[in-house]
Amino acid sequence: MSMPGVVVLPEGVGAVYTGRCSQIAAVRRWLVPAAELQFPCAPAEGGSSRPGRGVEHPWVCKAIMAAPPPSAPGEPGPPPPPLQYSLLLQHLVGDKRQPRVLDPAVLGGIPCPPKSEEQKMVERVMESCPFKAALACVGGFVLGGAFGIFTAGIDTNVGFDPKDPYRTPTAKEVLKDMGQRGISYAKNFAIVGAMFSCTECVVESYRGKSDWKNSVISGCITGGAIGFRAGLKAGVIGCGGFAAFSAAVDYYLR
Amino acid sequence: MDPLRAQQLAAELEVEMMADMYNRMTQACHRKCVPPYYKESELSKGECVCLDRCVAKYLEVHERMGKKLTELSLQDEELLKRMQQGTGTA
Repeated sequence: MSMPGVVVLPEGVGAVYTGRCSQIAAVRRWLVPAAELQFPCAPAEGGSSRPGRGVEHPWVCKAIMAAPPPSAPGEPGPPPPPLQYSLLLQHLVGDKRQPRVLDPAVLGGIPCPPKSEEQKMVERVMESCPFKAALACVGGFVLGGAFGIFTAGIDTNVGFDPKDPYRTPTAKEVLKDMGQRGISYAKNFAIVGAMFSCTECVVESYRGKSDWKNSVISGCITGGAIGFRAGLKAGVIGCGGFAAFSAAVDYYLR
Repeated sequence: MDPLRAQQLAAELEVEMMADMYNRMTQACHRKCVPPYYKESELSKGECVCLDRCVAKYLEVHERMGKKLTELSLQDEELLKRMQQGTGTA
């Protein structure tokens, strides 16, 4: 900052942005309402503006010259007016700046209508971890029920009577067995699905990335938690197995 | 120059500054948070979380730098004023 009171701007600021009309409109909105602006372009005035930029930025021409020429030695000169660079900065980035409504269309982004509060709330709920876990739980329940009923159909050990091995089971026995197996498989699948989905969502939120490592880590946690009930070694095997399984599924899906 | 004039000039400058900051922030956060190989069109949860954090950090850095710059320019001006008063009364 060698010359006092001169604002030096980077080249090309403002030249590349779309929506110049909306920018000007924003400026008019942001200005003090009572004041009508006049920015006379007088490049010769002040003497410290950069030539050639007057066309794009007329206000730069009238540079913020606040430092007076130094008084002749021996005279008590007039007290120098306060330098304006810091005043401008205070209005720009310091304490005196006003809260602004920032619209992406004005700032150079693609204009799009703002989302309503209900839409934002619904999206927030649908992206949250508990909702995803609940969804996986319900999905796992349905899938597990179907799987259980299917395996009950192909299992030949229903209604086995040791005294009469060749007796065919009654319909009631078959249905009861199907129901039991269905419910049992459904509960297991629901728990596993909810745990996997919850851990994957938490891990992804923590890491801030979405790649294959999320499902591997959460598969290890889920498998380990399930297998840990049967001992540490079973937990480790469960971790490895489930992690490999979810890595394979991820690889197939991506 | 009076404070009113300074405020008017600040409004003009602020539009430019905000637009520049928005564009830079969009570029930087896109480069950091969204890997270049796209598998789907929607933003995933991890990317959304990363973008939230990126924007928050960027704006905080912007604010702190602004305050620091204002402080430094005030110190500069104090120094300059003292120099001028020194040469003026000498």
